[in-house]
Amino acid sequence: MKKSLIIAAALALAPTFAAAESFQEAFEMNRAMYGTDHTFAWNGKQYTTTHEEEVEARVKPTKANAEALIAKAEAKNKEVAELGFEWKLTRGIIKDAKAAVAEGEYQKALDLAAQAKYHARIGIAQYHYAQKNWHLSVPQ
Amino acid sequence: MGLTLAAASQVTSAADSGFNLETVDPEADRIALQKYFKARFPESEISDYVNGIYAVDAASREQWEELEEFPPYEFDVEKGEELFNTPFANGKGYADCFENGGIGIRQNYPYWNKEEGTVKTLEQEINECREANGEKPLKWGKGEIAQVSAYMAWTSRDKEFDIQIPTDDKRAMAAYLDGKKFFYAKRGQLNLSCANCHVQGTNIAIRADLPSPQLGHVTHFPVFRSKWGELGTLHRRYSGCHKDSRSNPLKPQAERLRNLEYFQTYMSNGLIANGPGARK
Repeated sequence: MKKSLIIAAALALAPTFAAAESFQEAFEMNRAMYGTDHTFAWNGKQYTTTHEEEVEARVKPTKANAEALIAKAEAKNKEVAELGFEWKLTRGIIKDAKAAVAEGEYQKALDLAAQAKYHARIGIAQYHYAQKNWHLSVPQ
Repeated sequence: MGLTLAAASQVTSAADSGFNLETVDPEADRIALQKYFKARFPESEISDYVNGIYAVDAASREQWEELEEFPPYEFDVEKGEELFNTPFANGKGYADCFENGGIGIRQNYPYWNKEEGTVKTLEQEINECREANGEKPLKWGKGEIAQVSAYMAWTSRDKEFDIQIPTDDKRAMAAYLDGKKFFYAKRGQLNLSCANCHVQGTNIAIRADLPSPQLGHVTHFPVFRSKWGELGTLHRRYSGCHKDSRSNPLKPQAERLRNLEYFQTYMSNGLIANGPGARK
């Protein structure tokens, strides 16, 4: 009797566990499936799959706006470098963004700066993940 | 119910040991790593891991054994011996800087230097020797430093690594733990840790390459890599690995990389020095 009750409870709870998806998981799945600017629902609310850097790049393509976003990318990259988790391509992307400004290609510069800032931001997230989880693959 | 909880707590305590300064146990790490590889590759002898991927992949080994018939590092060892024995401008030489005249000592590196409060590597002390005698330091990755190191490794062949972590200086254990953490932390755009390739990924193809096992990783350095077409140091290899995972590498001989070498070499305690080596 007891055994059958446990099995019934487990079956009843299974869909609840399957549905328990974090916002990050929902965001990443929708982003991977539909790309940017897709609207999805999570816990009864609507969200979009746009990265914050993509929003930052959607300003008027002027020299001042491009330089401001490049400065943000540089600051973020300095932050991740100090943590020892800088990605390999980021400095080159920032360099390309500056070259685009010099050429007067401000939208290109904004897009590149956004990409560099995204790299740095995810590198910082990676650092924090590593602090909590590095031990998981140590053989015991 | 009680039994279940007791069993669960045992699993938990086993699984979270060794990850902070209070619990880290280098010897338990070393034994666990050996057990891991023994389970993964039961046919391979632990002592053979000094040969890297050739300990676990028969096809690669066949090619490597043919390569070793005329070792590509041979000329570098000869050049290294010549450099080692050429006096500095002040008349002194490398032999004056090292214990036992620098012969047969590779297996003692890296070591914890209590006075300086840091891990010292062989290449680091080669350059310190030069500077102490009025010579310019050599570049870290290749060329003369790798050749001198190769000669010193050659004179140390078959000697067992027995890296010590002094218990009277907590900083030594902190350096070991830092190296261990570095090895297991994911980094770079490809989100890979050293362990992803060299523990879990050992002998699993990454395109055309088969990653080598972490056990025995450092014993054969410096190495002549066919890809490089020349001899290179361990820290040059570290840079390459990090670039491969799209991480911006630390500078050779940076403290964290020396800590990494300290951890990795401790994992190879009991194995013999067999550098220089030849690798793909």
